[in-house]
Amino acid sequence: MTALRHLLRDPVAALGLLIVVFALFVAIFAPWIAPRPEDAFESNIMLRLQPPSAEFPFGTDDLGRDIFSRVILGTRSALVVAVSVVLAAIVIGVPIGLAAGWRDGWLSEVLMRVTDVFLAVPQLILALALGQLLAPGLTTAMVALALTYWPFFARTVFAETRRLRGALFVDALAGIGAHPMRILLLHVLPNAAPAVLVRATIGMGFTILTAALLGFLGVGAAPPTPDWGLAVAEARQHLPDAWWYATFPGLAIMLLVLGFNLLGDGLRDAADPRLRRSRK
Amino acid sequence: MDAALVIEDLAVQLRGRGEVADILDGITLTVPRGSVTGVVGESGCGKSTLLRAILGILPGRATTPRGRILFEGRDILPARAAKPHGRIGFVPQDPYLSLNPVFRAGDQILEIMRRHAPGTRAEHRAKLVELFRAVQLPDPEAALRKYPHQFSGGQRQRLLIAAALCCDPALIVADEPTTALDVTTQREVLGLLRELVRARGLSMLFVTHDFGVLASLCDEVSVLYAGRVAESGPTRAVLDTPTHPYTRMLLACHPDRAVELLGIPGAVPPATAQPAGCRFHPRCPVAQPDCRQDVPPLLPWSGGRAVACPHAARMEAHALA
Amino acid sequence: MPELLRAEALTTDLGRRAGFLRPAVSLRAVDGVTLSIAEGEAFGVVGESGCGKTTLARTLLGLQREAAGEITLGGRRVSGLAPAEARRVRADIQYVHQDPGAALDPWWRVGATLDEGLRIHGISSAEERAARIAEMLAAVGLDADFGQRYPHELSGGQQRRIGLARILLLRPKLVILDEPTAGLDLSVQASVLRLLAELRARFGLTYLFISHDLTVVRRVCDRVAVMYLGQVVEEGPAEALFANPAHPYTRALLAAAPHLDGRAAGPSLPGEPPSLRRIPAGCRFHPRCTRASALCAAQAPPMEAAGPAHQVACHHWREAA
Repeated sequence: MTALRHLLRDPVAALGLLIVVFALFVAIFAPWIAPRPEDAFESNIMLRLQPPSAEFPFGTDDLGRDIFSRVILGTRSALVVAVSVVLAAIVIGVPIGLAAGWRDGWLSEVLMRVTDVFLAVPQLILALALGQLLAPGLTTAMVALALTYWPFFARTVFAETRRLRGALFVDALAGIGAHPMRILLLHVLPNAAPAVLVRATIGMGFTILTAALLGFLGVGAAPPTPDWGLAVAEARQHLPDAWWYATFPGLAIMLLVLGFNLLGDGLRDAADPRLRRSRK
Repeated sequence: MDAALVIEDLAVQLRGRGEVADILDGITLTVPRGSVTGVVGESGCGKSTLLRAILGILPGRATTPRGRILFEGRDILPARAAKPHGRIGFVPQDPYLSLNPVFRAGDQILEIMRRHAPGTRAEHRAKLVELFRAVQLPDPEAALRKYPHQFSGGQRQRLLIAAALCCDPALIVADEPTTALDVTTQREVLGLLRELVRARGLSMLFVTHDFGVLASLCDEVSVLYAGRVAESGPTRAVLDTPTHPYTRMLLACHPDRAVELLGIPGAVPPATAQPAGCRFHPRCPVAQPDCRQDVPPLLPWSGGRAVACPHAARMEAHALA
Repeated sequence: MPELLRAEALTTDLGRRAGFLRPAVSLRAVDGVTLSIAEGEAFGVVGESGCGKTTLARTLLGLQREAAGEITLGGRRVSGLAPAEARRVRADIQYVHQDPGAALDPWWRVGATLDEGLRIHGISSAEERAARIAEMLAAVGLDADFGQRYPHELSGGQQRRIGLARILLLRPKLVILDEPTAGLDLSVQASVLRLLAELRARFGLTYLFISHDLTVVRRVCDRVAVMYLGQVVEEGPAEALFANPAHPYTRALLAAAPHLDGRAAGPSLPGEPPSLRRIPAGCRFHPRCTRASALCAAQAPPMEAAGPAHQVACHHWREAA
């Protein structure tokens, strides 16, 4: 609770939190919020490429679908992609970072060199290759993103563990006879958590951006799914005349990425008990 | 008396998070020319804020300070006053943190001289070598070309003393310059400072928490408690016959002197919640009702001293020290 | 008094194992230290930074593996073991860090930290743990609600009390105190020293007191060993050693400690502080010793008796007196 209060005291972080909470709300209740949820899949050629109006606040696309509804419906897929990719990356990356950072030796060397190899694989090329090997689609894109994102967590946790294993409190715990596993899981991991949290939050924004890019390149979500990146790709042929077609999905991407990044910065400060004020 | 620095009724508050911290209040002290004046006190007494006020680097959240700091005939306290760069030399506390490790130590000092001292670069170099010799750095010529990590802790503190002297300052301000050093190195550095004061007629304000260091270096001393001067006067008089209840109790904690280690009950009040009246009264064994309301003035005392306690005489009767 | 801890010719190498494209580095931080600590005494180890006093403590604890020598605890041999096993059999020895604030996990409330120690030592009953913690907080002079605080919310003196409480909960026989008063204000130092004396009497503790502050060691310790570059150069009863220091290094240390009376006793110690990377041949102190002779440069001096229970390693200690 203190962390939350601290977060809200920082206006920039509070804005980020507001954006993210708003996006979550929209994602959960999308079918009820969207004025035309049926537009997710149905087209209406008669109404194609209408500029924004009272009836279609964001205008319509080349199949006459309500862009406002599709942006709202696309929030869910954007968040699902972001959360699952980052969670998968954490599940792979954090244990590797902890194990490699705790002790020197061959295990540490092997783990970190494998991490380096994955770090060197270009994300988009892996996604494109996987798309060719497997069926192109959202799942493939997510696998590709998770496979290329976990090394960032491994590196972050590795660096934190290296720093913390030399900390005096770790030494003191060894002194009173604490088992290394206890030290690692109950002391090193929570102390590394802020760094992981910041990485994760910024990673959410980054993943949404890359997922949109993959959608744009045709390896992500497939039509007619409401997807922001896909929408920007489809809008390409109608620029600059139908400016609203690419603008509103693009703004949605930008806003959510920005929200996650602002929240990530705020969390780093708020999560650290040393920066919290005493509750006396 | 000819004074290098006069501080009159200085008060500084810091704002933050809806609270006001009362850091310094009514500080009055004088640094006579050619002598060393010590400022001694425990954490939270306002030593570092006092230094910052003199050096003109009070943090931005400081309210407009009250009082005057007279240096070379003008008040340098107001934010708009011209700062006496180079005329006040500063010796910092931690020699390890005070030099940028990626530049040669000599170049860092020459940069200060280029900005604040007249003369050409060649003159500056010659002068710096002479200063390095004065602070007894081994091989002064070679020292110019060395990086900070190539010096030991004691040598680094000598470098910083040379840096403080490089623009021929009228006053040296030193912030616990020996706390980071081993005792034998501390002794060498204190000896060097004493020698420089004598040979060059330096005036110095020396901030410390160590009464032993104070005794070996300072001519005059002001004892600070919770942002106010508790007692001031010649060092020997203050140390031999401490008069303010705080000074007495504090010196009774010194292992050299203590018959029985007692400590002082209670703790230094937080700067955001200073008690009214005398700030020491909640911990004072001879506190009187008026101590809770009236701010005690600095009263003249025997031996050229000033003591901020109207009831100091009662301590004589009190079974302590 | 029966012997509690004995170290015989203890030697510790610090260094890193060789890694990929990285040679092994090794420094002999403790070299042939022999000492014996009797039950209930306060044994002081003094020396300047880099003399090996902290490595000695870590070796006795079992956090650092000894390269040679033997350690016996309560008559039982406890050396020659892998670190985890060594720590287990030496649970009667506990260590209080020099910086007790940094020795507490910043994410844990101090109550949880205290609780954890008891959990690790197999106290499974939550009520018993809570009762012992409450009792120990009272013993170190803190209110029970301190358990709810985070380490950064404590003052330096309070952190030290928590550090003591944490290890005393484990009911050790020997407590190693690493610079227990470093960085403390004089009044807080006095109360911490008083607390240490009280706890020692109450729990029947034996102290190994590591410090560079001779004035404090003199007050607190029964016996003292002086270390220089990984070796003990003089050892004896505190009274005798401080009154009649036999080793030139002990004398220089004593002379360097600043005192309230401002006396500057004896000559200062010239030269640079030594480094374990360049250990001089013969007597390790000879390059800085005013009495050094050709013999000192050639041959390391043996430990000789200089009085009752008083030993010194110097070729010329008789002449120095």
